[in-house]
Amino acid sequence: MKSHSNNPAVERAQPWLGTLVSIRVAGLDAPNTHHAIDAAFEEIALVHRLMSFHDGTSDVSRLNCSSVRRPVEVHPYTMEVVRRALAFSAASNGCFDVSVGAELVDWQFLPAPSGDAHASGGSWRDIEILPENRIAFHRPLWIDLGGIAKGFAVDRATERLRILGASQTVLNAGGDIRVQGQIAEPVRLAVESASETMPVLELTDGSVASSSGHRQRHWHNGHLYGPHVDGIRRMPAPTDRFVCVVAKDCVVADALTKIVMAKGIESVNLLQQFDASAYLHDPATGWQHLEGAVRAG
Amino acid sequence: MQSKLIFLPLAGIAIAGGPAYANVYLSVEQAQAVLFPGATFQPDTRTLTDEQAKAIERASGVSVRSKQLKAWKVSTGGWFIVDEVVGKHEYIPFAFGLDDKGAVKGIEILEYREAYGGQIRDPEWRKQFVGKELGTKLQLDKNIRNVSGATLSCKHVTDGVQRLLATYEIALKQSSR
Repeated sequence: MKSHSNNPAVERAQPWLGTLVSIRVAGLDAPNTHHAIDAAFEEIALVHRLMSFHDGTSDVSRLNCSSVRRPVEVHPYTMEVVRRALAFSAASNGCFDVSVGAELVDWQFLPAPSGDAHASGGSWRDIEILPENRIAFHRPLWIDLGGIAKGFAVDRATERLRILGASQTVLNAGGDIRVQGQIAEPVRLAVESASETMPVLELTDGSVASSSGHRQRHWHNGHLYGPHVDGIRRMPAPTDRFVCVVAKDCVVADALTKIVMAKGIESVNLLQQFDASAYLHDPATGWQHLEGAVRAG
Repeated sequence: MQSKLIFLPLAGIAIAGGPAYANVYLSVEQAQAVLFPGATFQPDTRTLTDEQAKAIERASGVSVRSKQLKAWKVSTGGWFIVDEVVGKHEYIPFAFGLDDKGAVKGIEILEYREAYGGQIRDPEWRKQFVGKELGTKLQLDKNIRNVSGATLSCKHVTDGVQRLLATYEIALKQSSR
């Protein structure tokens, strides 16, 4: 591995996954840096193509259109994300549930997939994993991997960087961030509040993901809806809450933000189970630190 | 894995005003080298006619804000274009590479600037901090390059790409050879 401390850090950004994805690499010479960043963006682009809810040719769209009639074969990455999603569903008793795509369509956060009849009434329990990367739905479902795929993409891309010799990296997919290496990276938390201070998380060798319903919430049929769904109640999670989860893997941080968003301080045990911790901001209570893993300092 | 939440005083930022989140990624030359390694670039800046602009809008469904087209012909085939779109508040300049068949070779964001949320741009909200003692003076755009929890949409960039693909068909394709 070539490593020169006098090589300046290189940072590049591209539009993927419906947001801005930036990759920063320090300590490698320029050709190796750009080669590593190119390869990392290829991972991000692959996850984008496989798991887009909007693109009719993605694995997710193919599942939503025809998985209830016959099993659909998907890319190993899609299979891994669905497996992880089902594990989070089982651990949270369905609070995290990728089948809330149906609700997100009803509340106009996502466009209705073309084709079959409207999906409703199903849950993660209707998703069956079959051999040879095939997935079957036992009733019509619209799954949305938006709550977990970004974190997965960040982990895959960080792994590619590591394999290519980049050991000091920061990868940011629209606020799902993974820091590799021993230098503390400051991350501003975009909390909507009239406070005179700005919360900044210093993160070393780990991941952070945040969720806030505030900016995307809207009124629909006389009710206020946010983009996060409590999979048990099939209702929007509180929209004035800000949640930030810290974990080693970004896919864990990403998925857990949705659970903490819905369950608040009741999610402490779950955080502990996944070796994670959370910072929760409510207008009424201010900041709370939910510490599952005591490794967070 | 380690993490620590700290609270920095906002006062200095609020008074300074300017864009609080400004990341510069690549210069035009760097973006050229990233998208077309080893190639040379012949500037081919041109002004779209009204007719071309209308045709581009019809084909892409995206309005043409500027008729200036900053394009370069690439020695190894294809085109390199620098363009910008309007984000939530600021212009986002980006570089766009097309291969010799007119397919997208890559998109690199050159700079990304966003204000720290609506409240900081609001002069009334800012006023409350004027004259207060400043805490740690922060060089924010140097120190904090990452934000978590804000919605960074890139729809305007994907719209810009649709517009440039139509621009290629209507204004550049003929002179590609």
